[in-house]
Amino acid sequence: MENEQNDNVNRDELIMQQQRDIEREISDTIPLVSEKLPVNCLNAEYIGDAVFTSKIEDLSAKYSHLRRTRPDGNCFFRAFAYAYLEHLISNKEDYDKFRQLGENSKDKLVQLGFPSFTLEDFHETFMEVVKRVDPSTSNPDILSEQLHKIFNDQGYSDYVVVYLRLLTSGKLQEEADFYQNFIEGNFTIEEFRHQEVEPMYKESDHIHIIALCSALGVGVRVEYMDRGEGGTVKAHDFPEGQTPKVFLIYRPGHYDILYPK
Amino acid sequence: MAGSALRRLMAEYKQLTLDPPDGIVAGPVSEDNFFEWEALIAGPEGTCFEGGVFPARLVFPPDYPLSPPKMKFTCEMFHPNIFADGRVCISILHAPGDDPMGYESSAERWSPVQSVEKILLSVVSMLAEPNDESGANVDAAIMWREKREEFNQIAKRLVRKTLGLPS
Repeated sequence: MENEQNDNVNRDELIMQQQRDIEREISDTIPLVSEKLPVNCLNAEYIGDAVFTSKIEDLSAKYSHLRRTRPDGNCFFRAFAYAYLEHLISNKEDYDKFRQLGENSKDKLVQLGFPSFTLEDFHETFMEVVKRVDPSTSNPDILSEQLHKIFNDQGYSDYVVVYLRLLTSGKLQEEADFYQNFIEGNFTIEEFRHQEVEPMYKESDHIHIIALCSALGVGVRVEYMDRGEGGTVKAHDFPEGQTPKVFLIYRPGHYDILYPK
Repeated sequence: MAGSALRRLMAEYKQLTLDPPDGIVAGPVSEDNFFEWEALIAGPEGTCFEGGVFPARLVFPPDYPLSPPKMKFTCEMFHPNIFADGRVCISILHAPGDDPMGYESSAERWSPVQSVEKILLSVVSMLAEPNDESGANVDAAIMWREKREEFNQIAKRLVRKTLGLPS
């Protein structure tokens, strides 16, 4: 009985491991963040699909390029970080404000109850990345190239993702009463943060986006492209009314970066 | 990536050495390999495991702390949440979604801000308060629930065994 039980669980674990390996193998063939591609490169994925073809055309009218991100569950955070840092490269004023906010954010998270000891590495790496795109140190082309290299170095790239997850979780904690309204099911905010926000590879929902945008004071526009009617993509700004600095496209399950014309 | 894992493991080792929690000793098996640790865990006071010193191995993945380590007792164990081969089955060793035992949603999960210390403290709590809903060792779970005296006898024997005393 005992052995049978162990065998069963072992088999479950093996199957899960195999599943993970397969997913990992597929996703590893896609760079963490791709080069800039023309928006109409999306057509190749939807040949003969009238709904998507017309939506891609609509998208092309407003956006010239996109960057793909690896579909590993971290795509929202990675796309957001890349796109916003890219904006900061040519915007010294926003950069200085963001850097200050970044510096102060660690103490704030510690006050909210995060363990300072394990937080440190992520904050340090995050700030190192921010410092490496300082507009006063070099010209925008060199910094953009640097940014692209850093975000395709998994060590740096993943640590930036973790830190944004922690900032998101911190915001949910800070305004728990407000965010509790958005949580479905029987999750408490606490459970939601530990299960759906802080761990790597967990996908993002509206609530993650709203919390991160508010934590950093950054406006994001998401263009939604799915099978829905209308033939056009649908834009949604987070938080509503704020001028967007980051542009993303969402197709069910995945975020990529967009570049407005 | 392994660079940041190594740096983190060295920092955790230092912290555990300077400020060890009660009843826990842990560190790398050898200075050449920080990705494999040995831990000694004292059976919690006032429980049937009191007095025992239980050795275990922790193996860390290259992307630690993004993913959790695996943990296995290397001595004989009889406990609802420990497999017959010594593998420890508690929620903090799993990321959400990666869930062979179907833990409750409120159970503590792995995330990059957890630590070796948090894991070992959870293991001490697990020794003190088995979760008999989780079926890592069904026989142990049933005995814990229905024949506590018998369970305590086995635990006592295991305690003596870890101390090298005749059972």
